[in-house]
Order: sequence, then C-alpha cells, then structure tokens
Amino acid sequence: MFLQQLVNGISVGGIYALIATGYALIYSLLGFSNWAHGEVAMFGAYMALTLVTRTNSPFLGALVFGILGAGLLSIFNEKVAYKRIRDHGSPTMFLMIAAMGISTTYQNGAMLAFGPKFQMFPSMFETSTIQLGSISIGILDVISLLTTIVALVVLDLLINKSKMGLGIRTVASNSYTASLMGINIDRYFALVFLLAGMLAGSAGVLLGLKYSVYPTMGNVSLKAFIASVLGGLGSVRGAIVGALIIGILETMVSGYLSSGLRDLVTFGLLIVILLVKPSGLMGVTIEDKA
Amino acid sequence: MLKKVLSALLALSLVASLAGCSGGETGSTAGAAASTAASDAGSAAGGASGPSGEPIRIGYVSALSGDSALWGQAGLNGMKLAVEDVNAAGGVLGRPIEVVGYDGQGQPLDSVNALNKLIDESKVVAVVGTNFSSCNIAMAPVADSKKIPLVATAASSPSVTVDEQGKLHPYSFRIGFTDPFQGRVLGSYVYEKLGFKKAAIITDIGDNYSTGITQYLTKEFTAKGGTIVAKEEARSGDNDFRAQLSKIKSANPDVLFIPWIYKDVALITKQARELGITCQFVGADGWDSQDLPKLAGTAIDNSYYCSRPGFNTREAIEYGERYKKVYNIVPEAECLFGYDGVMWLVQVMKEKNSADPEAIRDGLENTKDFKGYLGTMSVDPATHDPTRDAAIFQIKDGAIKYIENYSVN
Repeated sequence: MFLQQLVNGISVGGIYALIATGYALIYSLLGFSNWAHGEVAMFGAYMALTLVTRTNSPFLGALVFGILGAGLLSIFNEKVAYKRIRDHGSPTMFLMIAAMGISTTYQNGAMLAFGPKFQMFPSMFETSTIQLGSISIGILDVISLLTTIVALVVLDLLINKSKMGLGIRTVASNSYTASLMGINIDRYFALVFLLAGMLAGSAGVLLGLKYSVYPTMGNVSLKAFIASVLGGLGSVRGAIVGALIIGILETMVSGYLSSGLRDLVTFGLLIVILLVKPSGLMGVTIEDKA
Repeated sequence: MLKKVLSALLALSLVASLAGCSGGETGSTAGAAASTAASDAGSAAGGASGPSGEPIRIGYVSALSGDSALWGQAGLNGMKLAVEDVNAAGGVLGRPIEVVGYDGQGQPLDSVNALNKLIDESKVVAVVGTNFSSCNIAMAPVADSKKIPLVATAASSPSVTVDEQGKLHPYSFRIGFTDPFQGRVLGSYVYEKLGFKKAAIITDIGDNYSTGITQYLTKEFTAKGGTIVAKEEARSGDNDFRAQLSKIKSANPDVLFIPWIYKDVALITKQARELGITCQFVGADGWDSQDLPKLAGTAIDNSYYCSRPGFNTREAIEYGERYKKVYNIVPEAECLFGYDGVMWLVQVMKEKNSADPEAIRDGLENTKDFKGYLGTMSVDPATHDPTRDAAIFQIKDGAIKYIENYSVN
C-alpha cells in the first residue's frame, strides 16, 4: 500500500517536474514567473492529439510533434510579447502581466478552436500493468517516467556540461555584463524559451495521454509553480526535487488523510517554506542561478 | 401638412409595433392555446359521445421561447397529444379538457408571472411545469398561496417540493425523480439484481449531486444487508485518483460506485483498471453521455448506470414515433413528461370525481402506481417526491444498451 502510493506520487511528481523546470529556466534568466507556461503545455497536447487523430501516428511521432509545437509557441511568445517589453526597458512586473494575458488568450483560443470538450488520445498502449509484488505500475506510467528522466537528464547535461549551457548560465548570472562581453543575449533568451517550451510540450503530451486534453489543462502548472518555489525559484535541480516532493505529498495526503486536505497541505507547505527558507530548498545565490 | 400626417402615422405604427412586441409572448401562446381548443373541438365532433360543456383547463409553464424552447415546446406538444387522447375517449367528468401554455422563458420571474396569469385569468385547475428547479423554487410559494397544484416535470432539486427549512410545499409535486433518489435505485439494484454485497464508493465532495447520491446509496445498500468496505473522496478536476483507488483496491470490493459526471468517470475507471481493480463499476445519470464509452474505452465495458426513463420501453418508443409523425421533429424526453403530466392529473380527477384544485391536490399526494410512458410512479406524501421507475443501462462494447426499468420498493 505505502509502496503503491509512493509509485503513484512519483508518477504525478514527474510530470510536475517537467513543467517546474521550465518555470525555473525562465525565472533564472528573466526573473519573472511565466504564467503562460501551462498553456504552452496545453498547446503541445493539442498538437500531438491532432496529429494522432489525423494520421494515426505512433507515440514517438506524437511526442516529438507536441514538443516541437510547444517549443515554437514558446519562442513566439518571447518574440511577440516579452522581447518588446524588455526592449522598452519596462519593469519585470509587465512581463508577468503580459504572461497572464497570453495565458487567458490561449485558453479561450483553444476553447474556440478545439471546443470545451474533454478529449482522450486513442489508446496507443495496452492499459496493461506491470505487477511487482503487490504494486501495479501502468505501462503509461513507465513510459512517462522514462520520458521525464530522459528529458531532465538531457536538460541537466545541456546546462551544466555544454558550451551552450555555459552561455545560458552566463546570461542568467548577469545579462547586462554578458551583453558587454559580446554575448548575443537575445539568442540565449530565445534558446531558453525554446527549451522551456519543449519541456512543457512533453509534459502536455504525457498529461494528455495519462488523463485527458482540454483547454484549461494548463492550470496544473500552478502546482508546478509551487514546486519550483519550493525547490528554489530559478534552480532547475531544485524544481525537480520540489516537484517530486509535492507529487508524493499530495498522493500520501489523499491516500492516508483526506483528499479535501490535499491542497491545504500543499499550499500550507508553500507558506512554511516562504517563512522559513524564502529562497527555497535548494536556494541559489545570486552568483549561481541556473 | 402632409408631412405632419405622415409622421403622426409613422409614430402611431411604431407604438403599435412596440405594443405588438411586448404582447408577443402571450400572443403566441394564446394562439397555441386556441389551436389546442380548436383541435379539441374537432376531435369532440368526431367522437360519438363527445364531451360537452365548459372545458377543464390545465395550465403549462415552460420556456416556449429562447435557448431552452426546444424542451418547453416538446412538453407543450406532449400535453396536446394527451388532450387529444383524453377528449377522444370522452373527456373528464363529461367535460373536454384544454391546455393553456404560457411562456416562462426559463426564468424564475417570468415563470411566476406566467403562473399568476394562468391562475387568475385562465382559471386553470392545475399547472404542469417547469423543467427548471430555479423556476419551480420561485413558483412553489405562489401555488401554495393560490391553492393550485403545480406539477414540475424534470426539475430535480429537492427544494422544488420541500423548502430550505424542510417545510413541505403542499401544492408542489413533480414527475421526475430527484438526484439523490438515484442513490436508492443503485443501492437496491446492485444488491438485489446484481447480487453484490461488498461495495466501495468514490464521491466528489465538491458536488451536491455526488454527495446526495452517496448518502442515499449508503443508506439503501446497508439497509438491504450490504457492507461499504471503502469510502473515498476526491474532487472533480483532480485528474489523478490513484491515491484513493489504491485504497479501494486494498479493500477488495465486489462493486465500485462512481456517482460522478462522465468526464471524471472516464479517468476514474481507466485508472482503476490500470491499478488492477477488476470489480464491477456502477454509476448514475451523470454517465448519460454518448462520449463516455469513447473516452473510457474498454475500462468501462460491462458497467451499469441508472438514468431517467426515456424512449426505452416499447410504449414510449411507439409514442415517440407518433410524436414524430404529428410534429415532424425529433422527440425530446420532455414530451414524455408533458403527456404523463396531463394523464396523471386526469387519472386523479377521475378518481376523485372532481376537478376542484383542492381535490386534485389530495389525489396527487396519495398517488399509488400511476402508469405513464415514463414508467410507474407513487408519491411520498411527506416529501411529494415520486418513487418511480428508473431506467438501467449497461455499456457494452462501446455502446449504451438499455437493460430494463427498475423500481425500488
């Protein structure tokens, strides 16, 4: 029973992690919470769903299509909205308000384009389960966990080991100084939005596969946001840890206490963290952000 | 001079058209009432010993215009068919009956106005309508004070017949069952017919619909002798129910009750099967959507749910065919309610041998086994809620199959 709940929790937390890391990436560069992030995930889910229903594409094709679609939408948001605000030298608050506007626009746009209906992916995998003693793990959970792990490991290597990652860390550390050093910071902003969008896209496709696809499905990103605050805003590894903690905590509270208390405990934890350790569990110093 | 005359004429015609607009609603329904009367006269003339004298008038309030006019008009059409049948068979107490419809627009205020007009101007002995709980909750006190029986059709809120303080509205009745009543149907059907003794329930604690059904279901099922081995709570929109379902799995029930709306049902059933829960799933009319088998796929195969009776029985299907022929439109379930409403009132008037509103009220309150197209119903004098047949459906190979009408006793 406990192990089963742990497995459930990790599988929920894994998806939160994909979205939370996107929040963390963008926060580390621009210092604002991108509220439109959940809608990027929603867009990715609809892209994949459309491809699957039109062409009967297999899972991998749908995943790649959703990831690319979401990544491009994320860059589009950056170029159309955020970059202009930055170029005007407006305060960061403006970015957040613009993000809220984008979020509402996309939710309603999706309602017009796809209808308010709940839709499900045609079954791509048998709804069979792997039985490990008393624990059953869905095939879909295994696939989504594998996808999550691959995506997060690639992201971690990219940021910490590649030259591109060095650039991102440089810009995150201080974009003004970076630009003085001759780094084309707009290129790195676009790159980070692409990465964040692709992560959101994979989360959207997995969410759609496991649950269902609907215009307001991006609201789940609120939980992911809490996870990234818990882990320390701006820290990618912190976001992953925070997401797993939230996922497991939610499942345990629903399983052992009452699901009425679930959100109370999650948000309560957020308040406690903000009071005790405002910089989050893996609180990062200003010198070392991403 | 000519200009002045012209402008005066123009002004007059404007005023006239405005008056035409404001009177439009009643105009059209008065027209509907007139045509009913005409068809009555026709059928009366055709009959060998036709009813004669002053017609007994039954009122009808519903949305005859606007968004929900589809149902409102269907109810009125159903009543007209009933009137045709009753008058062809000699009327009631030797007199013909007549339906007078007024437009309540699906709004509480307009419905109250319509009810007042029916009682004060058209002198109706009883009123059928509406299908909206919000309208009937507003109309009930008026019916009480004017002492005219009001028979709601599909309105399902408990507050339609019993107010918030738990006081009965003596003149309010209803044809359809309340939402929580389905809990009794499910509890009884699953124990008696399907033979399951160990049940688990998952409830949406954010929705009165789900908590109401759960409460009645638990009472009925345990009273029969069944045990509830797990009772879990969640909320619509949670998306992940595996924490609760894991607990349910370890309780090992024979049957899992899922009184939720279909979009959540799809998620719950899929996740339950993934976790290896193999028991029977059962739900209520929140499942009643063609989308559910598509969303839930094989996970929901062989599951049962109950819902309001519709065009399922042979009689009701034949009536639907007749309706289609007469009105040339697809029949809506509301036309069954309209027909049964008139027939119920007629049966009561015949039993009481009176068309007095007071006598009708007493008759309605003590109704036992009235048989209509919607099945058999009896009235509980304490709440005025009917105990009636519910339709049982099963989802089989991606299609919804009608099984039978089932009644709790």
